[in-house]
Amino acid sequence: MVESSPVVSPVVSPVVNGAAAYDWKGSAGVLERYGSILKMAIAPRNSKLAEDPTYWQIFSFYVCHSVLVVLYLLLFCYRLYNFSANKLKLRFLNLTYNPSRSPSLIRNDVGKLAKIPRQIAAILNCRAEEEENGGVDGLLNDSSELAAWCVSSGIPNLAIYERTGTMKHHIPELRRAVFRKLTAYFGTGNVPSYSIRVPHLNLTFYGASDEYEKSNSKPAIEISLLSLEDGRNTIVEMTRVMAELAKTGELDEKKVTLKFIDDELKQLVGAEPDLIVMFQPYIDLQGFPPWHIRLSEMYWEPDNDDVTYAVYLRSLQKFSTCKVNVGK
Amino acid sequence: MASEWVSSFPGFKSVQSLGKKAYAGVLRTGPVPRHIGFIMDGNRRYARRRNIELKEGHNAGFESMARTLETCYDCGVECATVFAFSVENFNRSAYEVEWLMELFKHKFSQIVEHGDMCEQYGIRVRVLGDIELLPNDVIKVLRRAEQITEKNTRAVLNVCFAYTARHDIRHSIQQTISQVVKGELDSTEISEQTLESNLYTGGLPPLELLIRTSGVHRLSDFLLWECHTSTCDIEIVDTLWPEFGVKDICWILLKWSFNRMYGRKLQGVEARDDLKGE
Repeated sequence: MVESSPVVSPVVSPVVNGAAAYDWKGSAGVLERYGSILKMAIAPRNSKLAEDPTYWQIFSFYVCHSVLVVLYLLLFCYRLYNFSANKLKLRFLNLTYNPSRSPSLIRNDVGKLAKIPRQIAAILNCRAEEEENGGVDGLLNDSSELAAWCVSSGIPNLAIYERTGTMKHHIPELRRAVFRKLTAYFGTGNVPSYSIRVPHLNLTFYGASDEYEKSNSKPAIEISLLSLEDGRNTIVEMTRVMAELAKTGELDEKKVTLKFIDDELKQLVGAEPDLIVMFQPYIDLQGFPPWHIRLSEMYWEPDNDDVTYAVYLRSLQKFSTCKVNVGK
Repeated sequence: MASEWVSSFPGFKSVQSLGKKAYAGVLRTGPVPRHIGFIMDGNRRYARRRNIELKEGHNAGFESMARTLETCYDCGVECATVFAFSVENFNRSAYEVEWLMELFKHKFSQIVEHGDMCEQYGIRVRVLGDIELLPNDVIKVLRRAEQITEKNTRAVLNVCFAYTARHDIRHSIQQTISQVVKGELDSTEISEQTLESNLYTGGLPPLELLIRTSGVHRLSDFLLWECHTSTCDIEIVDTLWPEFGVKDICWILLKWSFNRMYGRKLQGVEARDDLKGE
């Protein structure tokens, strides 16, 4: 920027008008030079100002920006108040709604509702190992707890979305964790049957270990594990396969209809959930399979970051009151 | 209402517009979403609640849209996408569909003829969706509006007609497949970016904010591919769309800017970075 300044060049150019003129021009050039350095130093970075802003532009930018910072400050105060209020509310709710490991209590709560989802998805977050209920163990605990709530409330399908897919590497632990949790809820004698599915690898596991034979009846709950790779990636993979088939003439591209894609993705990922519960402080789908969120009701509790029964129940209550009318 | 006598005060209008300009100037100095999506829900409920005719409700919705978009473009938003008519909306009563088509035709011909807002902001209007499903005369008007504003470059307004996100994804998949069949692309080269560029919104700035009104917590088949990552914030407000005013959009933009500046993301920060990459 300094080099390109046009006023610098007269200093080097031959002196024609004598020493006085030279001095005058030279000092102006130096001033200009200092000016542009000063401008460079004070011009805001990453702003939408022009390449070479005028002093007035820079000045008004700073005035406006300081107003913005004041607004941020006010917003921050509001958020602080909001945050504490939300936390207080959550604490109260968690005290009020406590399943105390009894399916009948949950059944009681859910029985009052007009309708319940058939397919529910939960978005969980893996917390740092050193935090309370953190790491893989925390995830396993939360997932098994969710499974127990779903069985108690009669929801047959649970999809657990965790962005990184850590749990897919801990299937044996998950099978045991779910078994233990269901035993705690239902007693040793009548543990409900369950299956764990990993759609990405097309694997299904029944019961706590492989000794349990697959029974003919449908399990009480089907848990499927989803992660980032089941989202866009799966659609990309599918397109690739379709493209190859189309190239060899085995598939007519006209046949790629909504129904066709829908059926494929149902196979590859699972059915569209009726309800997505996010156990996180704000709404964020984190790359949840995009095809599957068309009409799902989304629920989250502001500033909540725990997997608790109160949030689960409130999501069901919200779901029972909402009416889906496609297009109408 | 108390605000009514205030608004009848002399000079109120100019003070108001000055205030808006100043606010926009302030917001522009921080981060501003480059692309905003709107699900304009609640026109009919508004009409029912006020005991006015359905078409009056839709009309009020249009007014509200113009207001909101003006503020957005003032604040430096480059691209806005509005959900005007879904494929599923053809299931509504024939009378209402017909009336909506009339409204679109009317409003679009207004844009074509007067073009005040489009001219002032240099807005390029684009129509997204499977518009072959619409009546011929409507298609003609839409195409004409697109043509006339083609050369504008400052901002883009996408109007989604006969659009659903699933149709969009299907369309993109089909496009990609036919590219491979024609030999323009190798099937191993297909990536997220390929599909993304074949979407109707391909080539536009990434969606960074999605606003849904009337308190429904669903995406209703709108911009699913674009909004499901952590880079897009979803904002759901309880007001009905015709009541959604400049105040609401100002508040949402400020909140967005605050969140981007200081990060509300507790665990999501890492998620953001690696979702952006790849």
